[in-house]
Amino acid sequence: MKQENPFAQLRPDSRVGIVGIPPLAVIGRLNSLGARIHDLDEPQVNTDMEVTAPFLPRVYCAILRTAVLNALHLELDMIVIDVGPGKCDCALHVSTVLQDVLRIPVIRTRNEDDVPFGHPLCETRMSLLEKLQRITAGVQSAAPYQPEKFPPCKPTAAFWGVPPRDFSLLTHFPDTTHIYGWTRCMENKTPADGELEEIFNADVPTIFFAQSFCAKTALAKFLAAKHPRGLFLDVDVTCSSSTQAKIQAFLELSGVDHASR
Amino acid sequence: MLLADFGTSYCKFRELSESAGHPYLIATKDLPKNLRVDLATGHNGKRFSDRYVNELTALARGGEELIAAPDYVLLDCGSRDIKYVSYRHGKLADMGWNSECGASMGFTIELLEKYYNLDYDTLAVPDRTFSITCGVLGMSHIFDAVTSGISEAEAVARFVKGIALNAYRFSGSPQTLYLSGGLCDNPLFVSSFPCNIIPLGRYVLIKGLEKTARELLSIAL
Ligand code: SF4
Repeated sequence: MKQENPFAQLRPDSRVGIVGIPPLAVIGRLNSLGARIHDLDEPQVNTDMEVTAPFLPRVYCAILRTAVLNALHLELDMIVIDVGPGKCDCALHVSTVLQDVLRIPVIRTRNEDDVPFGHPLCETRMSLLEKLQRITAGVQSAAPYQPEKFPPCKPTAAFWGVPPRDFSLLTHFPDTTHIYGWTRCMENKTPADGELEEIFNADVPTIFFAQSFCAKTALAKFLAAKHPRGLFLDVDVTCSSSTQAKIQAFLELSGVDHASR
Repeated sequence: MLLADFGTSYCKFRELSESAGHPYLIATKDLPKNLRVDLATGHNGKRFSDRYVNELTALARGGEELIAAPDYVLLDCGSRDIKYVSYRHGKLADMGWNSECGASMGFTIELLEKYYNLDYDTLAVPDRTFSITCGVLGMSHIFDAVTSGISEAEAVARFVKGIALNAYRFSGSPQTLYLSGGLCDNPLFVSSFPCNIIPLGRYVLIKGLEKTARELLSIAL
């Protein structure tokens, strides 16, 4: 039987929510249709997370709880959720919940793209917050990069992990922080590249971050133990003041130059 | 130059310019209203100074000043939280700060001594313990135990041992543990750890501030 094209119903300006990184072909298609893409992994609505409690356990990845919160409040025409090896089983189960709760199509994808786009932002001199903002925004585009605009800098620290639910933890790092882990895979547009995800730089102090209750906590902890100056960190919805202090102290005590922050 | 560690129950001070000046203690509830200090750390410290050093940094710097060994774990048990730094080959290797699950442990220990009119100097370490991750939740164990006929002293001792074991595991279960904070003066607490304890007292964070202050002064000179 011929598979129906789920995108046929979209008009220019249709509002499409994405969870994770859908394959480049899908993003290209949405772009060519003129759809407006909303990244549901990022906080978009100012509503209490408690609203998601009837649908997801409170002890669940805060990024996916955020995605559900957004999906419940934004008036969307469609959701595309990646449930392949570049995301996680938690997202797969969330897609089941969303399909049941929402009246719009919830399309599952499996992103196994393996054409590397490069990761110039991960290694350039820029505030870590802005780098992460640019990388996450880059998910909505299929256009190639202009690496000459972002020359690499010499690193003094590193951040390994996924883009956190609470970006405030990024403000403590110097501009010369290099990015590793899944965020690097994200910029490279190869989210399922496990080998790239495991790379780290043993020469600079590194924070290995994972969202609380995510399977990646195991990898973050494992790699932090291998790293000579690595610190494992997991954060749930928001970064507490003691966690912020932990990041500050770690960088300071590891000799990361204050002037370059 | 006045240095201060603003704790939840007690604040520790040291005047750096007086060479003979010893550090001293003031109960937090008795702090002068308009107090200002030159360099602060600790919970609430930001309110009293323009220059603030975060508690983990102050703890680690204090350890660097006081501990000669290249490999060590230093644990600070405060009124409301526990935190540790671990050093390998003279360099920071790991750290942790537990303000949620470690909540109010030190505070509760002090409260219980007064409430049940006990003396921690005379209590023996019990064979058994309560499984405790939080001072507040641990209290219900005490009440249950007392209701079931266990003496108040035994119940409180089990509680204190539970807290020591929790803090020991939190800091990575080392063979030797350097201990910081007011609980260094509590013999029951110190003896309840299943490892070798080296108590450093209440002024470890102040020592860390001294190191930072010296660095700041040398930059200014
Ligand atoms: S942080 Fe982990 S659990 Fe959460 S969406 Fe990403 S991979 Fe899944």
